[in-house]
Amino acid sequence: MFKIGFNDHGEVAVSGRLDAAQAEKAQEFLDAVTDHCVLDLQGLEYISSAGLGVLLRTHKRLMGSESGLELVNVNKHIFDVFRYSGFDKLFVVRAAQ
Amino acid sequence: MQRKYHRSFNQIRKIVEDTAGFFSDHEIDESLRMKVDLSLEELFVNMVNYNTETDSDILIEMKPIEQGIEVSLTDFDVERFDPTMAAEIDIDAPLSERTPGGLGLYLVLKMADSIHYEYRDRKSKITFTNRVTGE
Repeated sequence: MFKIGFNDHGEVAVSGRLDAAQAEKAQEFLDAVTDHCVLDLQGLEYISSAGLGVLLRTHKRLMGSESGLELVNVNKHIFDVFRYSGFDKLFVVRAAQ
Repeated sequence: MQRKYHRSFNQIRKIVEDTAGFFSDHEIDESLRMKVDLSLEELFVNMVNYNTETDSDILIEMKPIEQGIEVSLTDFDVERFDPTMAAEIDIDAPLSERTPGGLGLYLVLKMADSIHYEYRDRKSKITFTNRVTGE
């Protein structure tokens, strides 16, 4: 089940599967973010191009105001998708420990 | 496995469940799941989004192959659209030039070990394979 919301550290925690069926929910949440934002992806099991599109649109919007998205606790599978997509060059990405 | 799915994003959850069951039943290496799930979703979503002239269900077939899996998606009563001819994406382009469009099929072409397209009698069929040795 896909979940998105703020955690106790003021970061946006994303978990579950971010696929085409869930992209709208993620986009609605992130559209309300107006400042630099850390996305904790520790619980993210899967992302497709629909989810990548959400991240890209949000990052571009925030970069317009000199902020952006930072992606942390990224597991190997998700990092592979970022690498194939070139997202590792567009975002600050920190792998899971 | 042969199963038809309605043309709706809501079917993605069912496809994922069926794929998990197929992997388990046929003892297919779980390391392939991410790539198979991603290619299946991208191709299914592409058919739903772009083959809008039909209401026909989309047929998904899976079969085990040596050290892997073969997956086919067939869309009925549609125009020809060959996903293997999708445009390359410049993943080195700066952020200002990047758009989400086209990324799905690009990922499929990168992640599948083989991919084949057939079009006959207004049926559009795409078949891909993933093998453990394809890494």
